Amino acid sequence: MASAYLDFIRIRFLMMLAYRVNYYSGIVIYAINIGAYYFMWKAIYGSAETLGGFTVAQMTTYIAVSWMARAFYFNNLDREISNEIRDGSVAVQMTRPISYLMVKMMQGFGEGLFRLLLFMAPGMIVAILIFPVSLPTDPLRWAMFFVMIWFSFLINSQLNILTGLFAFFVENNEGLMRLKRVLIDLLSGVILPMTFFPGWARAILDWLPFQAITYLPGSVFTGRLSGGDAWNALLVQFVWFAALIVPIWLMWRAARKRLFVQGG
Amino acid sequence: MRKMGFALSLFREYLANYIKTKLTYRADFWVEVFSDLMFSAMNLIFIFVVFTHTPALGDWTEAEVVFVYGYFMIPYGIFSTFMNLWNFSDRYITKGEMDRILTRPAGSLTQVMLENVDPPSLLGSLVGLGIMAAAWAKLGLPLHWYDPLVLIVMVLGSVLIYMGLYTALAAISFYSDAPTGIAPLMYNIQNYGRYPIQIYNKGIRFLLTWLLPFAFVGVYPASFFLDRHHDRVMAWLTPVMGVIFFALGLYVWNRGVKRYRGAGS
Amino acid sequence: MLAIDVHQLRKQFKVQKNREGLKGALLDLFKREHTEVTAVKDISFQIPQGEICGYIGENGAGKSTTIKMLTGILVPTSGRLLVNGYVPYKEREQFVRGIGVVFGQRSQLWWDIGVIESFRLLRKVYRVDEADFKRRLDELVETLQLGDLLNRPVRKLSLGQRMRCELVAALLHQPSILFLDEPTIGLDIVVKTEIREFLKKLNREHGTTILLTTHDLQDIEALCSRVIMLDDGRIIYDGGLEELKERWGKGREVQFQFTDPIPLAAVSALTSGLDVRWTKENEVTAKVWIPRELNVSDVLSRVVGSSAEISDIKIFETNTDEIVREIYRTGSPEAKEAVRG
Repeated sequence: MASAYLDFIRIRFLMMLAYRVNYYSGIVIYAINIGAYYFMWKAIYGSAETLGGFTVAQMTTYIAVSWMARAFYFNNLDREISNEIRDGSVAVQMTRPISYLMVKMMQGFGEGLFRLLLFMAPGMIVAILIFPVSLPTDPLRWAMFFVMIWFSFLINSQLNILTGLFAFFVENNEGLMRLKRVLIDLLSGVILPMTFFPGWARAILDWLPFQAITYLPGSVFTGRLSGGDAWNALLVQFVWFAALIVPIWLMWRAARKRLFVQGG
Repeated sequence: MRKMGFALSLFREYLANYIKTKLTYRADFWVEVFSDLMFSAMNLIFIFVVFTHTPALGDWTEAEVVFVYGYFMIPYGIFSTFMNLWNFSDRYITKGEMDRILTRPAGSLTQVMLENVDPPSLLGSLVGLGIMAAAWAKLGLPLHWYDPLVLIVMVLGSVLIYMGLYTALAAISFYSDAPTGIAPLMYNIQNYGRYPIQIYNKGIRFLLTWLLPFAFVGVYPASFFLDRHHDRVMAWLTPVMGVIFFALGLYVWNRGVKRYRGAGS
Repeated sequence: MLAIDVHQLRKQFKVQKNREGLKGALLDLFKREHTEVTAVKDISFQIPQGEICGYIGENGAGKSTTIKMLTGILVPTSGRLLVNGYVPYKEREQFVRGIGVVFGQRSQLWWDIGVIESFRLLRKVYRVDEADFKRRLDELVETLQLGDLLNRPVRKLSLGQRMRCELVAALLHQPSILFLDEPTIGLDIVVKTEIREFLKKLNREHGTTILLTTHDLQDIEALCSRVIMLDDGRIIYDGGLEELKERWGKGREVQFQFTDPIPLAAVSALTSGLDVRWTKENEVTAKVWIPRELNVSDVLSRVVGSSAEISDIKIFETNTDEIVREIYRTGSPEAKEAVRG
């Protein structure tokens, strides 16, 4: 059983390897993204020493690491799921003796793993060479970072699954998927760390799952959060992961019911 | 010219079918419109939040950056209406719908564009125009008689650049086996042309000006209207680059179609 | 004039080899290996106007590839190709105005809106003028009995209904050649028969040239005067259906049921001097195998004219299915002929 799931990871990993154009253009484009944001932030800082509690050096590291984390947690599960719902193949997949959503999760993980090893690792080396990125020396912090981006992956994939499952209930969830993508990029902290938002916005964002995706692991890695705060951040991630299981489960149940009653 | 007229008459028909389809799914239509607007709002939020921490980006003020963003939304809205090609690779290459396109007597690109036409995106152009007007007033810029005409030329140039680039990107699917195409990867890069180009280093500036000339869909043409950043040369290059990139896109597309293999055996 | 003229047509695809396992995949990332696959190997044939021609072959024999080259979708690797007087891939937009295409597995119609809307749009695309369109549509709607379906969205149509609409969509602009790729796939017998009748009528009344690929040999028997058989990218048979049966059919069998039991020797004696073979099914039933060269009536008259009383006669024709299966099995009809000769 478990080995079947592992196979889905392996197959997706190999599949990603098969698409060379995507791989090479992906590396170039990630480098451009990091570069563009680095210069933009340099301009934003101007002559200021610290903004939003970040020093310039911390900001640089934060940008690099949050893009790298994004490479790992990012996937198109929402699009895949809604396509499979619309062309009806989800019904076929449901007849298999394994959980459809788990399979999707595993495929997403295979994709993430591919990017982590073949994207993030070389990308990070390049980033360190070009930009003044400072890496933590404490092995515990490295360990924590990897645990945390694992949760980033889980939470982001859960949100993707939720968005994708909407295709069961509305004829066209294209707009919703676009909206989700923008929300995650803006509110998770990839392009703007949480501390930059005005106080009232932060109060709201603290209660949303987005910051758990990029901001929290990025903050732990750059040392903005340490000790008890870091553990607290991990706890927040875990709580979101657990909490998001509920709506997925409810939606999945409703979706199955709908599928059986209406025949897709 | 006759070809253009034919394409326009087809556009009317396709539009009619689009509307009939949408009328069956009214709720989705509004979700789509709403999310499109949210998408633009998000980018504005980024600008506003950043400027709560700094008085200027490079030497550009908040109103100036917002002005550029407003400009960007106009060509972007038009572009999105006609080139909704995000799933081109999957739908037309992998699933082989290109077969059908190629057995019909109209330009292949014209048909693909028209089949995916997405008029709600035009709303973004209107909002952009509004934002630009508001920033215009705030900056106290003079309004010359020729400004609206120049704006139309600039917007056309920008739209052509966008179309050319994305046509070429979509056409890559004819050559490569990439499942999603690489167009989604460009998603972030197109944003950088909206910020003052001076803040980037040489490499990125070169890239945004000549290779993936997104700066011509934002900061360069908009600078024509901005007193402090007036850059006549780069601004007038917009329509020129538009024609060049559009021709380039068409060339790549036409060559790609010849290489098309069709799905399955 | 020839509707289709094909000379030494060839299509090669470059197929990438995927090396096995993780290591192979990593190697592929940096250096990729390709193999050339030749789907269509220098085929030649001519189809005159007004003919219905069946194009058959196993999966992967190169049928679809040929059709796609003939319709201007694919560009051939080499060879000459003239359809309706055009080189399809060169003057595509001009060329496709004179042809109709139906891919059985793929729809040309808008999914969400009434069928009639798709037809209206196609009218525009093919620049058919309003009066012609109306006349043509009325005619098609009547022969295919689509009257009340026109306003239904495609997704609410059954496969058979959809297929009939697809035919209308492909014929609105009065094409002189119609290409059909698996037009009856997945349809039930009744609809299949209807569609065959319709195609025959179309050919008879408008002189439309029809080229169809199919896996259903019943289609071929019902429609085609000519068959082109493809195997591994080569044409292995090109000629009449009757001839195919005559040359490779195994003859016919006639089964007699007698009122009284009759020994094998007695029936054999009836046809002495003729090259036939008798077998006994049971006490009262015997079967005779008659080779192609012989007239069935010769054998019949001898048996019927004898003193034995007959209660029933059945004639079995070797069906095309069997012949074709046999040809596929042995690879080529020539090889088979060698075995026979």
